[in-house]
Amino acid sequence: MSIRFEKVSKSFGPPEARKTILKDVSFEVAEGEILFILGKSGMGKSVTLKHIVGVMKPDSGRVFVDGKNVADLDADGLSEMRRSCGMVFQHPALLDSLSVYDNVSFGLRTPQFNRGRPRPLSEAEIRQVVREKISLVHLKDEILDLSPPEISYGMQKRVSMARTLAPEPKFLLFDEPTTGLDPITTTAVNDQIQELSRKLKVTSVVVSHDMGCALSIADRILVLDQAKILFLGTPKEAIASKETLIQEFLEETLANQSKPGGSR
Amino acid sequence: MKVVSAILNDVGGLALFVKDVFQTGFRTEKNVKPILDQIVDVTTRSFTTVAFAGVFVGAILVLQFSLILAKYDAQTFLGGLNTSAVVREVGPLIISFLLAGKVGAFTAAELGTMRVTEQIDAIECLGTNPIQYLILPRFIGIVASSLILLMMSLMISILGSMMVASVTYGIYPEQFLGSIPRFVSFGTLAAGMFKSAVYGIIVAGVACYKGYTASGGARGVGRAVTQAAILTNLYIVIANFLTGQFLDVLSALSKGNAG
Repeated sequence: MSIRFEKVSKSFGPPEARKTILKDVSFEVAEGEILFILGKSGMGKSVTLKHIVGVMKPDSGRVFVDGKNVADLDADGLSEMRRSCGMVFQHPALLDSLSVYDNVSFGLRTPQFNRGRPRPLSEAEIRQVVREKISLVHLKDEILDLSPPEISYGMQKRVSMARTLAPEPKFLLFDEPTTGLDPITTTAVNDQIQELSRKLKVTSVVVSHDMGCALSIADRILVLDQAKILFLGTPKEAIASKETLIQEFLEETLANQSKPGGSR
Repeated sequence: MKVVSAILNDVGGLALFVKDVFQTGFRTEKNVKPILDQIVDVTTRSFTTVAFAGVFVGAILVLQFSLILAKYDAQTFLGGLNTSAVVREVGPLIISFLLAGKVGAFTAAELGTMRVTEQIDAIECLGTNPIQYLILPRFIGIVASSLILLMMSLMISILGSMMVASVTYGIYPEQFLGSIPRFVSFGTLAAGMFKSAVYGIIVAGVACYKGYTASGGARGVGRAVTQAAILTNLYIVIANFLTGQFLDVLSALSKGNAG
């Protein structure tokens, strides 16, 4: 259950002003590992995640998910692969026209989820799964009948996590999960990422700006800069690194920690 | 040159998108409930506007036609001429313009917001085809509603015209209704329905395409809605000319065969 990038390159824009976002990027995320991808804005962090779920295709190179080259998958194969990758977006991305319950149960009603099962889940079984996932993200059943705009932004983020977890993905992909959250909710969400990854034993890739969180919960940290991998190693190796960008991230983390209510 | 290239690029993108919608419609299992919900939603949301427009369009045409017919003392033909013009030309055009402004703009804004807040990406990542889940019900809903609304507005327009003709020119309702079969044949009705369906596809296609491909936050959604409104009206006017020509050729061919 690993993710592997092999010399992946990606550029955007017209030929006269082409901007290279990824250049021959290669790395592997092992089964059950938590990998944090850090970097400044526009350095290709989210682009990397979008390559994993096949929303973007590399200009050159290959992306393997669970041993399969994403570019070779047909429409059905792509849907199946996407179902195995639970993605938590930067925004909660909940469907406003549906209730919290319908949002969380959305992935349990798709043909891809029911494929290979003797029968689709009954409504009682769906309700059971929804309740489990809602409690896993520390929310209460009372919110199930509400619509997303009726709950707070932090709660929406956690509902979004519950929705991602409901179909029991093999991979968890987080795209800046704490953006726009207050420090207390940020800490709670970061704790949940660690708790969920360890409890469910899934492979996780987290795109973030939060070096503090990366140091405390990541197995390895990958730093992207100028379309290339600047650093790939354990949190201990990151602390010992002499790279200027990593030093800047560490200094910012220390400054945040010294502020009252700052992240860890 | 850049403008021409941008327009061709846009038309090409729209054509590929509509092709994708049709292919998805034929290939995948159809879920009837969301389609029916959309038809009911679009029809009920637009009915009042379309009804008002129907009454006043009928009334305006009565005033215009009666001026000409009065010269030849042929006001008894008012009902037929009026209904024919509404069914064949003015009705489909006005309804599609109203749908573009009301339902088209709403759909582009709704889908655009879903796109920029990553709701569409989330649907895709949960293993569901967004074209099937989001676009197909809206597309079929708008096209079917434009046909239903044409029939409704036609009836309302006839009633409105009849009242105006009766009050203003003293034409009896029997006279008004009696002249309709002389001018309105099955072919006239079919032509009106055909035009409505084509304009409905344009409204649905452009609104869904612009919303679905929106990017760049709130500004991007605003841009998508504006483009949807302007381009829909432009394409409808062009389609009006082309469908008119096409129906004239069909009519000439059928007369030639009959002769």
